Amino acid sequence: MNTLIQVSFALVTALIVGSAMMSVTVRNIIHAALWLIACFFGVGALYLLLEAEFIAVAQVLIYVGAISILILFAIMLTRQLETGRYMVTGWRLWVTSVICVTLFAAVLIPTLLSHRWNLPAPPAAGGSEQLIGPAELGRDVVFTYLLQFQVVGVLLTMALIGAIVIAFEERARRRRILTLAEEHTLQQLSTTRQAAPTPESEQPPAPSTTDRE
Amino acid sequence: MPNAIPLEALLAVAAALFCIGLFGALARRSMVGVLMGIELMLNAVNINLIAFWRYLTPSSTGGQTFVIFVITVAAAEAAVGLALVIAIYRAWQTSNIDEVDSLKG
Amino acid sequence: MYDILNSVINMTFGWGWPSWLISLVSHILVATILFLIAPLQMLFLTYYERRAIARMQDRIGPNRVGPEGLFQPVADGVKMFTKEDIVPTAADRWVHLIAPCVVVAPTMLMFAVVPWGPGMVPVDLNAGLLFFFAVSSISAVGLMMAGWASNNKFALLGAMRAVAQMVSYEIPAILSLLAIVMLTGTLSIVELIDAQAGLFIRSVDLPGVPDLGLGWFVFTPVGFLACVCFFIAALAEGERTPFDIPEAESEIVAGYMTEYSGMKFGLFYLAQYLLNFLLCAITATIFFGGWQGPGVGWLFSQAITPTNLDGHWIFNLLAGVLGVSYFLAKTYAIFFVMIWIRGAYPRLRVDQLMEFGWKFLIPLAMVNIFSAAIWLGLTRWGAPEGLALLEGWTPFMRWATAFVVTLGLNLASYIMVGRIYAATQAARSRAELEDLRDLALSSR
Repeated sequence: MNTLIQVSFALVTALIVGSAMMSVTVRNIIHAALWLIACFFGVGALYLLLEAEFIAVAQVLIYVGAISILILFAIMLTRQLETGRYMVTGWRLWVTSVICVTLFAAVLIPTLLSHRWNLPAPPAAGGSEQLIGPAELGRDVVFTYLLQFQVVGVLLTMALIGAIVIAFEERARRRRILTLAEEHTLQQLSTTRQAAPTPESEQPPAPSTTDRE
Repeated sequence: MPNAIPLEALLAVAAALFCIGLFGALARRSMVGVLMGIELMLNAVNINLIAFWRYLTPSSTGGQTFVIFVITVAAAEAAVGLALVIAIYRAWQTSNIDEVDSLKG
Repeated sequence: MYDILNSVINMTFGWGWPSWLISLVSHILVATILFLIAPLQMLFLTYYERRAIARMQDRIGPNRVGPEGLFQPVADGVKMFTKEDIVPTAADRWVHLIAPCVVVAPTMLMFAVVPWGPGMVPVDLNAGLLFFFAVSSISAVGLMMAGWASNNKFALLGAMRAVAQMVSYEIPAILSLLAIVMLTGTLSIVELIDAQAGLFIRSVDLPGVPDLGLGWFVFTPVGFLACVCFFIAALAEGERTPFDIPEAESEIVAGYMTEYSGMKFGLFYLAQYLLNFLLCAITATIFFGGWQGPGVGWLFSQAITPTNLDGHWIFNLLAGVLGVSYFLAKTYAIFFVMIWIRGAYPRLRVDQLMEFGWKFLIPLAMVNIFSAAIWLGLTRWGAPEGLALLEGWTPFMRWATAFVVTLGLNLASYIMVGRIYAATQAARSRAELEDLRDLALSSR
């Protein structure tokens, strides 16, 4: 059983690190987003290996199902698929790489290797550990961590309203595209009006037709 | 799982993911790319939390609850951040982070 | 299913095999069986849908290949295999190639948690219900990839529509299931089915009800409203007719599938029908009791199970056959409702679709969660939770009060939300007409 876990851990790790690398270096930003999705998926698989079922499922539901879709939508709405210079160049690139590599090789890895983690004694052979499941998690979220839960709820509501307010485009400034049915009605309206012109037809153009360009 | 893989391996994976995310956040020029780097860093933190929960306190709910809160905050951050990207694109016609510099003296 | 195979392999090969090999082999066997069943379901569903819709439109439908046209789907499959596989020159080759796989793989994964009969679930996950919906949301990424990689405006429009629709209709679907999860207190699909024993009243709510396997959630007001909301959301998730704007053939050719041909198109088609089957199956499982039905519970209690080792294997077989046939009958009946809706309703517009989801379904699902809380309090709680006045009531009185209160609440909220929604729609269409009038004035 241990070999099976080790092999799958190696595969998942390769998926996570490889797709993360691709995601920050690849030129086309849509490809970067797709690699990012692969990386999220790998992290979900890692949670599954760590026997955190609920978190793994939540990771897939929220990261793969929602956040990555949001990112893809944002990319398509800003229409900057392939820009000439997609990364910083010159000394900035060098400084950035040095910072990241130093952080990894000189700070993080030595620290986590030299520190002594107080690992509890492994359970006796045959006996299985008592792992918590979604039921315990749900109970603790609404009893022990109730205040934090409420704060997160308020935060989510604020984020929802904030995102709408920030990205809202006024109706008057939006370009109006008519559907076929509307064009037909328009035609009918204008023909009836031509037959019997009224004084109110001297009005200035309605704001709904103003185009940004 | 704790018998098969040492805790340090998981922490190393998380550290690598964090550094890659940091590189992405610093080196990418497009705003969406920067946000993607930040999401990678948040994922690295979550891996750490779950690894510590599994190896150190498997019978308490603290670690998993914390991860749920981190994921929630990440979702809120992504929503507001991408709304900002769209608003800036509308005002400046660009999504390149270096060109948005009207606050520079 | 896994347990059965595991014990069969254990019995056949003894303990000579290491345990990890036995579990690997039995898991692979389960997966193989599912991979064989899934395309068969898809073939049958296409035939079923074509025949049923033909009846509704006063036609006969496919009737040439084989008896009553039963082999028509096979002929279509052969045709699909022999077609040329075209990749547009301007397409993003790799993403274009991977997209159909990303759409099909999640639907296959969703089969992992669907229980077919008593004791016949491929994997009984603790968070099975959540797994089902988490995995179904992955296919949105595949649709986006397909639409973008085709480098075609119709495909991109279709993909954007499909993804926006899937993401926004996931919310009412999950919210309406939340009411059911509150009532049962579990996310495991197997336990959800076990909770639906009884006869119109669930045995959990009223001990002493004869167990005929008919205590379905759809018979309670909370479950009924949840079922309606969920089924509408499922229609949108599966891109069925009133919500089939992502592939509206009269507007945008075939949506995200426009640039696909041959077997890749076949994969999209497969994924769509499998998703429809799974959505019907999960509706049948959660609201209509899955394999529960008269007789199955008694047969299964006589069978060999981990808790009852001295049963007889013939009862295993009988319970399995009866359970699977109940489950499939319910699933096909629900799929028939989907076909019926396809035959009856015209397509919605994109903005109508979004408004319906956000302004009608989500408020109703929220009210339903509140009703579920009331139901739970009235049937289950007592002095420890601060409801000491309920202590003296008989279980039947508690059940009846809960039924009446939640029925009143759900009905009232349905009427109110419906009226508000209708009023806003009317106001909106008036405003649109005003806009057009202004436009007519200015264009003169």
